[in-house]
Amino acid sequence: MVNLLLNENMKIYRRMRTWILVGLMAAFVILGNFVMWHENKSAQGDGWRTELMQEKERWTEQLKKSNLDEGLRTYYTERIPVIDYHLEHNIRSPQGTMWNGINESASLGILITLLTIIIAGDIIAAEFSTGTIKLLLIRPSSRIKILLSKYLAMLLFSMVLLLTLFVISFLLNGILFGFKYMDLPLLHFTGGQVVEQNMILHLWKTYLLNGISTVMYITIAFMISSAFRSSAMAIGFSIGIVFAGNILLEALQRYEWSKYLLFANTDLTQYMEGRPFHDGMTLSFSIGVLAVYFLLFNLVSWLMFTRRDVAG
Amino acid sequence: MSSEPIISLQNVTKRVGRKTIIDDLTFDVPQGEIFGFLGPNGAGKTTTIRMIVGLMSITKGQILIKGKNIKTDFEQAIRHVGAIVENPEMYKYLSGYHNLVHYARMVPGVTKERIDEVVSLVKLENRIHEKVRKYSLGMRQRLGVAQALLHRPSLLILDEPTNGLDPEGIRELRDYLRFLTRTEGITVVVSSHLLSEMELMCDRVAIIQRGKLIDLKPVQYFTHGSDTFQTYQFEVQMPEQAIAIIRRIEGIQELSISEDGLLEVTTEREQVPAILELLVQNQIRVYGVQKVRRSLEDQFLELTGGGQIG
Ligand SMILES: Nc1ncnc2c1ncn2[C@@H]1O[C@H](COP(=O)(O)OP(=O)(O)O)[C@@H](O)[C@H]1O
Ligand SMILES: [Mg+2]
Repeated sequence: MVNLLLNENMKIYRRMRTWILVGLMAAFVILGNFVMWHENKSAQGDGWRTELMQEKERWTEQLKKSNLDEGLRTYYTERIPVIDYHLEHNIRSPQGTMWNGINESASLGILITLLTIIIAGDIIAAEFSTGTIKLLLIRPSSRIKILLSKYLAMLLFSMVLLLTLFVISFLLNGILFGFKYMDLPLLHFTGGQVVEQNMILHLWKTYLLNGISTVMYITIAFMISSAFRSSAMAIGFSIGIVFAGNILLEALQRYEWSKYLLFANTDLTQYMEGRPFHDGMTLSFSIGVLAVYFLLFNLVSWLMFTRRDVAG
Repeated sequence: MSSEPIISLQNVTKRVGRKTIIDDLTFDVPQGEIFGFLGPNGAGKTTTIRMIVGLMSITKGQILIKGKNIKTDFEQAIRHVGAIVENPEMYKYLSGYHNLVHYARMVPGVTKERIDEVVSLVKLENRIHEKVRKYSLGMRQRLGVAQALLHRPSLLILDEPTNGLDPEGIRELRDYLRFLTRTEGITVVVSSHLLSEMELMCDRVAIIQRGKLIDLKPVQYFTHGSDTFQTYQFEVQMPEQAIAIIRRIEGIQELSISEDGLLEVTTEREQVPAILELLVQNQIRVYGVQKVRRSLEDQFLELTGGGQIG
């Protein structure tokens, strides 16, 4: 089993394409962080006070409008007490420190999703489309072990990507803003009051929850990959389904049953921000729904891969 | 010598949808033999091989490799098999060497030394660290053979191994297969639609057409025909008249005029002088006589009724 995993890793990492994709991702992260750094310059040093006061003024103005969007209204009303807390307790805002960039980078997880979908969509279908499957399956390893090794290799790959994203954003923002304010807390408005949170802990949570959705995306792409003979089709379908699914979700939000849809539950950070897709949805509800889909998809992959005739 | 066959096919049938691709195939391949699997394109050679190595499910019947059922005891059965099914497709983005490392990892006990040994066996030492993308077809074939031999299989299955090889390469392959059977006691199964190659390579040949086994014999039977009757070609002045004359003789099996105007007679050896005598008596000039060595190709065409594509 370890050997099979080594093989799958070799096929991922000894391939130019993988490094081109990783390089592109890194370039995006670096570029994004530079842009943020540029916009945040004024908040550096003691500038953060003025920035926050200006922001508070803007939101107070906005709130006077009668036709304000409901979502924005909640956002502004919750934001103002947080700003006050910053100013009163002399806790500087993450704006203008390395933490801002690092936190924002975590939301670039979409790039990781995209990358893993590409590689996972390819990992089985490519063996069929190039014909290498014929030499792979005539060894004393059962098909289920081969499937599992590919799955584990994908999990490992996504972890490597998450880690790369974290390391790049941490180092880059540290260099740009200076490795200062290490123990800065993150302020959050929950249950009618402002609470202080540990920044690192918050970050870990974000990464962990992103990790869970990445696992789901891998599982989908994996299932699609085991159904196709052409890797281009498998990659295309995987990306298509993920993006179409997320877009369709918006349209279906008004129906109560839409909370059971896969894509209503994949983004678990919705609970961290306190803005679930439907009122009454909880983290454990979503994890339960995801677990059902997870088992279903893996069952389908397994059935397709182990029963399939390798022909043509 | 063990009496247990290396491969045993028992009433093997493959259906896809309503179509029967392989129809009730039964035969054994004993140890140490080079076994030819012969048939026109689309006869079902590749399908049979895919079933033998477990790539395709078997609709009916069973296949045993060294007594182990390929379906129920896959890992034990496949352990003894090295194969190339159709083209030897490798990971193009890896070097030849890393391709071999890949397959070596999948069978316990294949050492680094063994990899080197196999590489020099197929004479790829100089290019083994290059990406497979840069290999010629011949080099890929050789890398294919290398991966099939890595784990010292007792059965080597090669599907149309001569495809894309030049005559020199084919001769090399032939000598090499002979070498393997002699030195390591490996059993080899080769499929081909090129009959002339089988003739020189194999001990026994099975002929299949449209998924059915139509003949299985030692290769000499195909090439020399039966012992008593032979075909002779007579180069004569007036073939039509000659036919009319020869017809009177008893013990003639077949009589015809070939495309290039030669008189072809299938008969016993002892009849040849009598035929000549009769022709001379009737003032028909004879310029030459020769025995026709029937090739596997002719036999094959005869058996399959013109060898239409199945
Ligand atoms: N998966 C499949 N579905 C339907 N027909 C198939 C399939 N695979 C092969 N065939 C048919 O089975 C026959 C045998 O094919 P094959 O085994 O490739 O022949 P060969 O290797 O002798 O040229 C052909 O007529 C082919 O069209
Ligand atoms: Mg074939």
